[in-house]
Amino acid sequence: MATTTANCTINSDLLQPNLNASKTSILMKGGTSSDGLEFMDMGYIEVATGTNFDLLNADNALNKDKANKVYISNESTDETYYVIITIDATVIGRLYAGDWMFIPWGAEDANADIEIQAYTGTNKITYAYFHENRTLTSA
Amino acid sequence: MATTATFNIFSEISPAFSGITKTMTLTKAGTLNDITETTGYSRRKLASTTPVDLITMANELVEPNDNTAAKVFIANVGSPSSGIDKTTHVTISIGDTSGTTQEVGRLYGGDWLMMPVTVVDDMDVVATPSTDDVVVLEYVMFFEEG
Repeated sequence: MATTTANCTINSDLLQPNLNASKTSILMKGGTSSDGLEFMDMGYIEVATGTNFDLLNADNALNKDKANKVYISNESTDETYYVIITIDATVIGRLYAGDWMFIPWGAEDANADIEIQAYTGTNKITYAYFHENRTLTSA
Repeated sequence: MATTATFNIFSEISPAFSGITKTMTLTKAGTLNDITETTGYSRRKLASTTPVDLITMANELVEPNDNTAAKVFIANVGSPSSGIDKTTHVTISIGDTSGTTQEVGRLYGGDWLMMPVTVVDDMDVVATPSTDDVVVLEYVMFFEEG
């Protein structure tokens, strides 16, 4: 089994005493405690303003309603730059320069693409998709 | 110290993948100023497959500033009696339990997420357990005052 471990550590002085939270998850296939995710895709792209693009397509039925995980990081350095992340026309939120997100992705139907649109300027984005399977298309 | 969130992932899936480590400082939208508001770290026990608003944007005591740089962290920490169950999940969605929602994905036992949110009214964070068994979610939201 390929083991994939994801950790998040949050520190904040907005609360007294300060918040120090840390969670670690071993990424498993949906509904199992013995079989880890076995596929991943990773990329780096520049997203120009003016168009809402599909970052990840939900057209792979093999990953429908599974335990997929998606990481997106805005590597831009100008703090006014941001991207809007959307799933099937519902805005999830904004990732400003330096921000990252890590979510499960249901990919519950072919419309549930993860979409990205850049604002202010061309944003630099790193993404990684951890999932259960992929169907290769014939050449 | 401000508010920081660090992501680490290591994987054996591909020998070519050396992992990712990334720290973000939570700031107000479009600035380098620290984010100033939080719901506080909360814990909620669910025991039904009925969808519930985990965070209701219209009910925050401090009115959030819509469409800015808010972030939500949620962890499925399992059941106090039986621990983490990887065979069950809680579906996290955005929307309103009395209207339409858009699924984000499934948090299986032990899983966590960190994502931006709009904090717009009725774009709530909705949790729907897959079974009637007890499951506990821990969560915190950071946002800007409107």
